[in-house]
Order: sequence, then structure tokens, then C-alpha cells
Amino acid sequence: MKATLAPSSLISLPRHKVSSLRSPSLLIQSQRPSSALMTTMKTASRGSVAVTAAATSSVEALREGIAEFYNETSGLWEEIWGDHMHHGFYDPDSSVQLSDSGHREAQIRMIEESLRFAGVTEEEKKIKRVVDVGCGIGGSSRYIASKFGAECVGITLSPVQAKRANDLAAAQSLSHKVSFQVADALEQPFEDGMFDLVWSMESGEHMPDKAKFVKELVRVAAPGGRIIIVTWCHRNLSQGEEALQPWEQNLLDRICKTFYLPAWCSTSDYVNLLQSLSLQDIKCADWSENVAPFWPAVIRTALTWKGLVSLLRSGMKSIKGALTMPLMIEGYKKGD
Amino acid sequence: MRLIVHNMLTCNIKGVVNKFPLRIEAEKVIKKEVDFNPDFLRHMLAKIEWKALVDGARSMGYTELPDQLESEESYSFLKKFHHALLELHLEEGSLVCQETGRKFPVEKGVPNMLLHEDEV
Repeated sequence: MKATLAPSSLISLPRHKVSSLRSPSLLIQSQRPSSALMTTMKTASRGSVAVTAAATSSVEALREGIAEFYNETSGLWEEIWGDHMHHGFYDPDSSVQLSDSGHREAQIRMIEESLRFAGVTEEEKKIKRVVDVGCGIGGSSRYIASKFGAECVGITLSPVQAKRANDLAAAQSLSHKVSFQVADALEQPFEDGMFDLVWSMESGEHMPDKAKFVKELVRVAAPGGRIIIVTWCHRNLSQGEEALQPWEQNLLDRICKTFYLPAWCSTSDYVNLLQSLSLQDIKCADWSENVAPFWPAVIRTALTWKGLVSLLRSGMKSIKGALTMPLMIEGYKKGD
Repeated sequence: MRLIVHNMLTCNIKGVVNKFPLRIEAEKVIKKEVDFNPDFLRHMLAKIEWKALVDGARSMGYTELPDQLESEESYSFLKKFHHALLELHLEEGSLVCQETGRKFPVEKGVPNMLLHEDEV
């Protein structure tokens, strides 16, 4: 797929964004200002109007699709990649020839870099209660609970994941600190202001309604608490641009169908949402370069004998997912 | 599901005022030993909704907890608190909203708090 345009302001697609936010005032720090941000509220509301236009029955269908996808593929992922279901964090331009354990370390580094970016490591004593929104099989929860001695609850749409996450917690003697439930990130079953740290590691992509997603994250965050979102975004739109280019949209659509990613927005959209909810110290960064080595590594593991056999055993959704992986690489490459 | 988690879960159906606590209907309860950690327990005492814990424990067949939170945190009290909070597992059953009667199933120890379309 060749780009027909290569304007110098085209940054990259998709972008991997980290946002760190505290309640309540309005200091915005952008680590890497994009050229020509759309800062009007119109952009943010456009994003949310586009996604809430989906009929509610299709929202339920999406929820079921996500649950089934992870019910079916979590076991395979864990077998090959372990209990973290997110990108690794690498030094840019690092050699891609890392060992399996090198990649697992990179996944842990992703957690550490995110905490550090948000300034959380310096405030360890304040982190008592954590919610892991879109917790997978609980890798982040168990890691954070161990690190801070904090109580952590995780929520996922997949009953298989929740059960596995609980079993792993028990095996690691963390049952008293971490537990996992089936719940919807858009309707969290918790009181307002419950959590010192609200953690969303690569789950935002699955949310059909970004505005609602962010609102819930803010609702359950304690005053003075911290929200950390690591998510896939598309590039910020330039001045005068109303939407992504057709070829970009086409690429995204193909990735989305396989991984049940209902809608994408930009970092600016997230920042605008957070600002509208009066959050303080909003920071964001683009980590596209730091995660790009991940997908070639995943593909390589899939192409090993063990990987192929496991894929064939685990069913159509996993195979479709594996076939879509080259598209992820394409997405990252288009940026340059 | 242990009571430490039950103590945090609310009914998130739109418009419901009496969201917490959820009443427990236990079908299968199992006991799993957890290491006794008095410091952790003392820390938890400050955060736990006591009545919800007592009622929840009763629903799961454990009646040893005092109705009122004791001011002296004796060893024997902490052991009972430890047992109720961390060692009782609801494997199968329901969490019931006190206001609407809606039942959230608990299967294989995992509560399912997903709402239906008309509850949102």
C-alpha cells in the first residue's frame, strides 16, 4: 500500500500515546507538540458524536465480540508471551533481535516507563487502591500491587481472562491484594473517587465511546489521584483536516475489524476530553518509536514451530489476529 | 469473590440510589487459606464498611464477626476479620441489588457486573 501523499506534517499512524493526569486544575504539558493541533472543542465532540452514533445493540455485539476474542486468544498469548498483554517499550532504533525474555522485559519496562512518566514512582506511599481498567489476565495489576503494596481490582469483559487472572494471583500469593471481575469500563461498578491510581494499559482502543470511557476513569479517581492511559491513537489532524486520509482510514479499518477496535481518536481528542473534566497536570507523549519493534517480534514468535501449532489449535480468531499483524507494522511504518 | 472485593462493588444501574452493598445469595462457598498479615488487616479496618462485611459473611455462613467494630484490635478479633475478609470465597451465587432486585451472577468465583442495554 503506497501513500499517495507524503506531506511533511503527516506524523505517524497509529500513534502510541501516554497520558498522565491528575485532578483538578488546568496545566497542560505536551512532551512533543504536534504540528498544527486542532484544539477546538469541535474536534473532541466530533470524535464522540461519531462513536455514539452506533446503535446500542451494536455496542452489545461489540462487547460480546471483545469478550469472545479474549476468551479464545488469551491462553495462546499467555503461552507464548506471558501475562502482559501490551506492547513492550524499547529504546528507539534498538536491534529487533531480542530474545523472548528481552521482549518480556520490555513489557515490564512499559509499565515502569508509564509510572515514571506520570511521576507516580515518587509517590509510592500514596497509592493504596488501584483499578486496572481492561486488565487482561492481570499482569499490570499483579505487578503494581507487588510494587506498591496496594490493593488492586481489575475489570475485563472476558470471563476466561478474569478467572485466569484470579488463578495467577492465587499462585503468586497475591489473592489478598488483587482480584478480578467481569465488568464494563464504560459502567464501572465502583463508587466515585475510590482509586488513587486509575490504570488503563492498552484497553482504550476497545471503547466505542471515548467520552464515556474518560468520564468513568475520572469518576472513579480519588481527588488528587492519578490517571494513566496508554493507548493507540491515530495522528492528530492538521488544521483544516476533518478526518484521516482515505488510505489511512482503510488501513485502520482492517486492523480494527480483527482486533475489535471500534473507533480511533487522536491524542488531542483525549486531551480535550480530560480538560473538559477539569483535570490537572495533563501530559502526553508519543511512544510510537518505542513500541514499533514489538509487532515484528510477535510475528516472529508466531512463525516458530510452537507458535504455528498453537495458532492452529486456538481457532479462527487467533489466526485472523495473526494475519492482521503485518498491518500493524504497516501502520507504524507509514509515519516516516 | 472474597468479601474484601464485595465491600467495593456497587450496583451501577442507571438511577439506582441504594447501590451498596449488594446482598449475597450464596450457592457455593469455599475456604482458601491466606497468610495472616496483621498490619494489612489493621490498615483495612479503616476502609471497610463494617455492616456490609458482617452481613456478607453471614450470607456465606460465617457468623463469628461482632455486629459493631471493636475498638481494641485483639488477636482473636483480627483472626476472625482475616477469615471473613480474605478466606471465604463465593464460587457460585449472586450479588443482588437491594433497590431493584437485579442479580449479578458470580461464576467460578468471578462476579459479572455487566449491565443490559436497558439498565444503562
